[in-house]
Amino acid sequence: MFDAMHTPDNVLIVGGSSEIGIEIAKQLARRGSSKFLLAGRSLGAMQRAANEISSVSEHSSASVSVIYYDTVAPGSTTDLLNAAKAELDTIDMAVIAVGALGNQEEDEKDPASAQRVLEANFSSLAPDILAIANQMSEQGFGHILVLSSVAGIRVRASNYIYGAAKAGLDGFTMALGDAMVGSGVKVTVVRPGFVTTKMTAHMQPRPLSTSAHKVAAEALRAADHNKSAVYVPYAMGIAVSIYRHLPRSLARKIPF
Amino acid sequence: MPHNKEMITGWGRTQPVAAKIISYDPTSDGTSPFLQGPAIARGLGRSYGDAAQLGGGVAITLPDAINSASIDESGHLSVGAGTSIDSILARYVPQGFFVPVTPGTRYVTIGGAIAADVHGKNHHVDGTFAANVENFELLAPAGAYHVNPLESPEIFWATAGGMGLTGLITSATIKMLPIETSYMSVETRRIGDLDELLATMIGSDQNFRYSVAWIDCLAKGGRMGRSVLTRGEHATLGSLDARRARDPLAYKPRVRLSAPRWVPNGVLNLASVAAFNEMWFRKAPRHRQDELISLSGFFHPLDGVRDWNRIYGSTGFLQYQFVLPDGKEEQLRRILERISAAKVASFLAVLKRFGAANPGILSFPRPGWTLALDIPIGASHLGLLLDELDQEVLSAGGRIYLAKDSRCDAETIAAMYPRLGELAKIKEGLDPQGIIKSDLSRRLRLV
Repeated sequence: MFDAMHTPDNVLIVGGSSEIGIEIAKQLARRGSSKFLLAGRSLGAMQRAANEISSVSEHSSASVSVIYYDTVAPGSTTDLLNAAKAELDTIDMAVIAVGALGNQEEDEKDPASAQRVLEANFSSLAPDILAIANQMSEQGFGHILVLSSVAGIRVRASNYIYGAAKAGLDGFTMALGDAMVGSGVKVTVVRPGFVTTKMTAHMQPRPLSTSAHKVAAEALRAADHNKSAVYVPYAMGIAVSIYRHLPRSLARKIPF
Repeated sequence: MPHNKEMITGWGRTQPVAAKIISYDPTSDGTSPFLQGPAIARGLGRSYGDAAQLGGGVAITLPDAINSASIDESGHLSVGAGTSIDSILARYVPQGFFVPVTPGTRYVTIGGAIAADVHGKNHHVDGTFAANVENFELLAPAGAYHVNPLESPEIFWATAGGMGLTGLITSATIKMLPIETSYMSVETRRIGDLDELLATMIGSDQNFRYSVAWIDCLAKGGRMGRSVLTRGEHATLGSLDARRARDPLAYKPRVRLSAPRWVPNGVLNLASVAAFNEMWFRKAPRHRQDELISLSGFFHPLDGVRDWNRIYGSTGFLQYQFVLPDGKEEQLRRILERISAAKVASFLAVLKRFGAANPGILSFPRPGWTLALDIPIGASHLGLLLDELDQEVLSAGGRIYLAKDSRCDAETIAAMYPRLGELAKIKEGLDPQGIIKSDLSRRLRLV
């Protein structure tokens, strides 16, 4: 259930070892969310995160459970939903924080690894999101936060495999939100710019880069206000809306 | 039974859910409304939080049955439970009867009034709504029950205040109050601070049938608790002037305004509320007696603006209402100080002194002070502030009102209402399969 401040009781974090996902969980625990299920590939990291989440609030401790989940594994959708139903009475909020950057240069040469990037970020993930949305629709309420990326707003040559997957995910979830109007299910798409996390530790920080903490706070604020999409930081939204309308010949020359 | 799936919320518009709405007419529908899965009764949706909704389940509504209502000479009114106080007043005030208890809105059903065991400005004299209920019919999954407080006190006092969790109240007989006129004779006092307010209410509330104080929650320091105390009686025929005496029971409540369909968030902010409070305090007379005010002007001023809950914008608002026992005036002061220091704007803050409690398991009133605050959702510290106030209320032996709640937690509620186990036991007999539930009962694990 949600309370009046839109704080959920039960939260599913898909991509349970993602820094943004964990940060959202911590901020929700601080607000009073009581039950979390982390679903992801790295059991050790999720176990450490579980300890952090359950000790974040001095008033009450949240209960956190962990399951192995890999979106590209066969049967992952069913396993995820069954675990969520068993661990959480209702899936009040689901945070989809699955992401695999891949390696553009290598993936370009190897279509099989390009396929893995597309699956992990979009084609295997979308059915999982759909299953969660359908479960929430049955409940009559629920909120799905999907971590998209500015890389998916205008796909660039420098990372077009990851970017195209995020573009697919972004389009899918935005329209899912429209389709869910009247069902009680809300969808918020979160589009961070460059986030300094372990996923990007090997990369040069870019202009308008942001932190997992900031992305989590802005994602939750957007959810509280029932926004369908939010850019983090805000200025990134302005930059992207200009960039996406540039003529291709010009956009191609912008070096990032 | 016609039904369709709709989005519903409480009056605070904070927790929208999709539910199947079933219109059930107990006088003509033979089939039980409980055959379509988990369900809760829903009246006019005036409870602030999630009491009258069940996400993914069924909300059962009853028709307004004012046309088949009947009343005897001594004022016993038998009426379908879906009938609103609004309809009852429109029909019976001109015949010289007023409802024995009315909350701040007349847009509540009789079923809802019993289920929330509502109170009014006369609680210190007349008790809650349930005190004036002779009997009611209860339809539960296990069967239909004729319930009155003498022969079936367990079911009666589990249902009165029971937030709909024992079943569907289908009709009731209530004792109406005979009135000579449709006017209130009102005394208004402007009061400078909290001490004076409490002393005045302790000293002389018992001289008035109706009493309530509006408090400026933004006033601090020496002005903390500055307020306007309004107390009144039903006006007698002899007190009316010639013009009013020509039609002493005239009753024409008007809905003058309608809130716009869309209002941006944050219209009610600290600045606008502070300005309103200043104006409201200053426009009140220092002391005025024997002013004649219409029934709707006295009891239901907010009903004059249709859909006024929209002015809080899309994120909605909540009402925080608690009661503290007599003798806990210092705690009341501390809570008021914290609210005014926290700068959460409260446009409507009402203080009332309660009379005796009743045996209702979940009935809210108990002797002491009740404060109700309307607060817009928005301030990021609001949740934690109210959690802390809950603990202050609890440690002072008080509790919060379930019909208003949209955010408390199960442990705190269980400590405030220690008889939840009794309710669960009675419910077990009425609803062995646990069909009846609401988002409120799930969130707070009431049964």
